[in-house]
Amino acid sequence: MHDGIHVEKAGLPSATICTDRFIPTAQGMARMWGAEDYPTIFTQHPIENLDRPALRERAEGLATEVAAILTGG
Amino acid sequence: MTTTFTDITTTSWDDALSAIEKGYELGWGDGLPIVPPTIGRVAEFIGYAGRAPDEVLGELPERRRVITVEKAAANAVMAGCIPEYFPVVLAATEAMLDPTFNLVGPSSSMGGSAVLCIVNGPIRDQIGLNSRNNLFGPGNRANGTIGRSVRLILMNACAAIPGLFDRSVIGHPGKYTYCIAEAEGETHWMPLHVDRGFNASDSTVTVFAGESPRQIRAVGRPEAILYTMADVASTLGTSMSTSGSVGDVSVGIRQGQIVVTFAGNSNLWRDWTKDRIREYLHANIHRSVADLKRALVLPGDVEAGDEAAMVSLIPEPEDILVVFAGGEESNMASVIPSWGPKVGSTAVTKAIQIP
Repeated sequence: MHDGIHVEKAGLPSATICTDRFIPTAQGMARMWGAEDYPTIFTQHPIENLDRPALRERAEGLATEVAAILTGG
Repeated sequence: MTTTFTDITTTSWDDALSAIEKGYELGWGDGLPIVPPTIGRVAEFIGYAGRAPDEVLGELPERRRVITVEKAAANAVMAGCIPEYFPVVLAATEAMLDPTFNLVGPSSSMGGSAVLCIVNGPIRDQIGLNSRNNLFGPGNRANGTIGRSVRLILMNACAAIPGLFDRSVIGHPGKYTYCIAEAEGETHWMPLHVDRGFNASDSTVTVFAGESPRQIRAVGRPEAILYTMADVASTLGTSMSTSGSVGDVSVGIRQGQIVVTFAGNSNLWRDWTKDRIREYLHANIHRSVADLKRALVLPGDVEAGDEAAMVSLIPEPEDILVVFAGGEESNMASVIPSWGPKVGSTAVTKAIQIP
């Protein structure tokens, strides 16, 4: 969240993905930096135990949302 | 001396019990009752240390927090310190805010570490820090309240709030308080702070992002104690052994620092220096490639040769912090694995400014 917010503030479009267990932490970090409206994608926790095919499938499922955020759609 | 505070929230209460309850309402703390941080008491601490209230001890830029002397003082009062302990709290705060320590990592991680403070030098005796019996246990005000001050500073000043920015999954009891001293006058070994470049006459505090201490019971001979200690420190399940590499990907696992404490009578160790102990432990704290593959830390199936191929869990011998401390029985020791890889957090030692 911290890095995504700062990349965005620097003028480079960013899209941040968090797992849903970290919603309060992500929102707290956004509030801390005055970026309450920073768009964040939440995906089901956990991802650490996913193998490569499952992780790829998860990423592909989020790709449209990521593209929309990056292009301001 | 009149203290002018620069960043202050005031509240009022009718009596001590109301003040304690008010502290809970304001979310100040670790769940235990606080000593009310009255303006007078906080000013007394700052005056004793002879530091400016707005002097910056360090910053946590990721959380937009600047930690000043007055913030540290308020938390030291709340933790139950007396003014004479406050210089230790100040040095510990400076140490954990040193960029080398990378506080944002161990204070937020799911790994659940605590900031262990190890005090060396003359101040240990001056303020009565315990370095012997019941080393990590209760019963000593200086150990208990200095360690608690660090936790309150983390929570109240650094925003390490459980569930918000402190995401520990398990945590450990050292997160309430975690402060020891080395019994340096009772051993021929070089004290930890001298090992780390200070003079024996300096007073210092070393901060270390540590898991909980694992107590070791061994047959009371040096070789047996060290063999047992190396076995305990080599277990799967520590952050060092069972997490994927961060930084040096050629290793495959996280290699981290470690604190080891030795209790008892120093005479038992007359043939051993700290250097020799570090060399032994560094060579023997390791795990086989086969086991690391079974634990899915390293990829691939177990192959011929994997049982004998060992991966070191400690980067260098000097990454083993050796401390002589604990009760009278030489067959007891402890191991404290680091929260994570050395690249993620490295122990920091700071001099304590005694007024």
